[in-house]
Amino acid sequence: MDFRSKLPARRVLWRAILLLLSFLTVVGCSRSESAHERGVVVVVPTQSATWIRHFNPFLFSQARWGTVGAIYEPLLIYNSAQGKYVPWLAERYGWSADNLTLTFDLRRNVRWSDGQPFTARDVVFTFELLKKYKALDQNAIWVKLRAVEQRGDFQVLVHFKEPFVPALFFVGESPIVSEHAWKDVKDPITFRDENPIGTGPFTRVKSFKTQVYELGKNPDYWQPGKPKLEAVRVPAFPGNEQTSLAMLRGEIDWAALFIPAIDRIFVDKDPEHHGYQFAKVEGTVMLYPNHLHAPYGDVRVRKAISHAIDRQLIVRIAMQGYTDPAPATGLTDLYAKYKDPSIIEEVGDFNKHDPTRAKALLDEAGLTMGPEGFRTHPDGSPWTVDVNCVAGWSDWIIAGQIIAKNLQAVGINATLHTYDFGAWFQRLQTGDFDLSISWSTTGGPSLYTYYHRQMSTETVRPLGEAAEYNWQRFGSKRADELLAALAKTNDLAEEKHLARELQRVFLENAPALPLFPGPAWGEYVSTRITGFPTQENPYAALAPYKQPGYLLTLIELEPRAKGTH
Amino acid sequence: MRFLLRRLGFYLLAAWVSLTLNFLIPRLAPGDASSALQARFQGRLEPSALAAMKEVFGYTDAPLWQQYSSYVNNLLHGEFGVSVAYFPAPVTEVIGSALLWTLFLAGASVVISFVLGSLLGILSAWKRGGWLDSIAPPAFIFLGAFPYFWMAMLLLFTFGFVGGWFPVRHAYSDHLTIGWNAEFLLSAVHHAFLPAVSIVIASLGGWLLGMRNTMIGILAEDYITMAQAKGLSPRRVMVHYAARNALLPNITGFGMALGFVLSGSLLTEIVFSYPGQGYLLYQAVKSQDFPLMQGLFLSITAAVLAANWLVDIAYVFLDPRTRR
Repeated sequence: MDFRSKLPARRVLWRAILLLLSFLTVVGCSRSESAHERGVVVVVPTQSATWIRHFNPFLFSQARWGTVGAIYEPLLIYNSAQGKYVPWLAERYGWSADNLTLTFDLRRNVRWSDGQPFTARDVVFTFELLKKYKALDQNAIWVKLRAVEQRGDFQVLVHFKEPFVPALFFVGESPIVSEHAWKDVKDPITFRDENPIGTGPFTRVKSFKTQVYELGKNPDYWQPGKPKLEAVRVPAFPGNEQTSLAMLRGEIDWAALFIPAIDRIFVDKDPEHHGYQFAKVEGTVMLYPNHLHAPYGDVRVRKAISHAIDRQLIVRIAMQGYTDPAPATGLTDLYAKYKDPSIIEEVGDFNKHDPTRAKALLDEAGLTMGPEGFRTHPDGSPWTVDVNCVAGWSDWIIAGQIIAKNLQAVGINATLHTYDFGAWFQRLQTGDFDLSISWSTTGGPSLYTYYHRQMSTETVRPLGEAAEYNWQRFGSKRADELLAALAKTNDLAEEKHLARELQRVFLENAPALPLFPGPAWGEYVSTRITGFPTQENPYAALAPYKQPGYLLTLIELEPRAKGTH
Repeated sequence: MRFLLRRLGFYLLAAWVSLTLNFLIPRLAPGDASSALQARFQGRLEPSALAAMKEVFGYTDAPLWQQYSSYVNNLLHGEFGVSVAYFPAPVTEVIGSALLWTLFLAGASVVISFVLGSLLGILSAWKRGGWLDSIAPPAFIFLGAFPYFWMAMLLLFTFGFVGGWFPVRHAYSDHLTIGWNAEFLLSAVHHAFLPAVSIVIASLGGWLLGMRNTMIGILAEDYITMAQAKGLSPRRVMVHYAARNALLPNITGFGMALGFVLSGSLLTEIVFSYPGQGYLLYQAVKSQDFPLMQGLFLSITAAVLAANWLVDIAYVFLDPRTRR
């Protein structure tokens, strides 16, 4: 470049612009991104910056999507939309008369993706593996199991130490691995199983890159004519905005996404092909009162706090109307068959927004208005209430703000306190809180796990000791009896009766205050792929991250027939 | 040489302090590291399995000094532990997957931004009051003052989403595999273009203004007049007499910027879904993945120190006063 020429700067600039333009034309002409092969479904079940090749089905929280379901299949799959078990690798299952033994009859036409037959040996081997490595037994199945026995090539008997019917879910949905591929694995806990051998519909890892991976179909899948798709592609998206953008451009067929104002932003763009399902089946978000801190041990105070809360407002503002206020029993749609509005009516609905009732209950409990405009303890000392929440969890924080406002309206001096997750969780676990918002765990379709974690005396820990659940520290002898009976029965009428009585205990004591059930997010774009569960035909759950439940949807998907666009 | 060795000693000390802090901070943070593990599972993991998992992750209740010595020992052997979020992948592998892309994107854009900005700064100071001087500095300062996130989103939306001229995510086409062929390289450049432009636009103004202002101060020096009086060509005066001296403060800034390249351009990587280290760090913090965080911080520290060391070397060449 010659700086001594007359117009140096301008000439340099022009040259630079010319160079840039020619570069852009070259680059712009390179292949376009939206090359979609026929029969490939693009799924975004979770958001992540990069993918690490990992298909170990026992570490299901960290393994790549597809591991449990598309590659490794379970004996049964629970269909949460229909409320029933679907036989999968097992053709049939049944309990013995004493409910001590669970028998699975396996399918005879199943082969592993390397051609070897699937037999009862593999099932027994899988459960023995869980027994040997506690870290792999993430649902602690072996706490209740005595032995797993093979009978012939296609029958497995699961023996329990004592009758424990709720275990069906955990045993049934355990992914099954092959004995021949896994018996030589030195350390199954750190094993990444980069080339998995499964029985599922998409067992071939066609390509694996940090930003996208693709699972190709298993040509010898045991369900005749299925899968109808060629492959499943899973791109890495770091955030919600990017995923939404790609979804609107039609680059994604199936996703689990939070989209604000979804009807306007997503569905209205193409009502024929865009759809979603936000099933209210995730654990109910609760406000936990600490029963060992005064005055929250008094049921009148707990019910008063609950009556003061405007759940409609919380659901509308914090959750954008994507869920409903929880019933006072805290039951989500996962427990639809146990829901019984009559019991709530009979005992009293403490979830009803009723500030007058809240004030009356507080007065009755001796927490009367003090001179400073706030209620005081019965001895006249000031009563201040901290509502704990996790910093950065915006939906919970908005809910917490509304709760604090609602409590102030009935004269309670309440403020919202946010903590970093670690600090918040430590307080929650050790009982160092007054009121705290937190999740509740469901653990399968049986009411047992849910209420066991809320009301069983077995789960109560003293203050200062970390509790895994039952953070409110409530134990009821009556609930213990009912839970013990529930664990022993698989008679639906009996179950319903026990469930009703358990709900009565919960309604009478208000151990925790249910706010709203969490939605399971799922959206689809059916321009290229059809067969998704729709509003008219919700044959299965749409949320792609619910493993192995998504398999019920995945197996029904097919490429759209040409010319039906 | 004495100067460089003295600096090296200082950097070693700084490295030791930072890796010790790196060890202490997660342990001083509220809540223990194992509650972070619990957070990832949100109660879906039974206590017995959790206890077994903790063992796998190497969470121990050993005294602090013992943990410290095994930590230092592991570092010396290049072992950073196992990532919680990407279990059971070792931290080194997780970082490795992002490191090259960050170096490529952020490194290239910092260099381009620095070279372009300094060049424009030199030119606008040389012809101060000219058309370039009256347009470029205010224009780039104006652009740089936009909230970065907003500007990046705007670029993405206009040129990627609406225009469709550039890809809206990832480092290369999903259909290609990594390799030294024209198609892949072109695709990588194509994908890096928008994010790189956004970084250059945002940071160019600073380099330009810094360079221009130092230049103007130096142009008033006697030795410049002297050089011109000797009849040296304007280009020689501009480049060898003025620019070389004016570059020193900018070089220091450049060293810092280069060092922080490894901390990734967090926002860039989020907006453009670029698989780099900044986003990894964000994710590690969000999911309380302490081993990964420690590994990332360590790599950033190492990069900053190394870049400063390089700047020191550059100083030796640019500034004869340091050679003694």
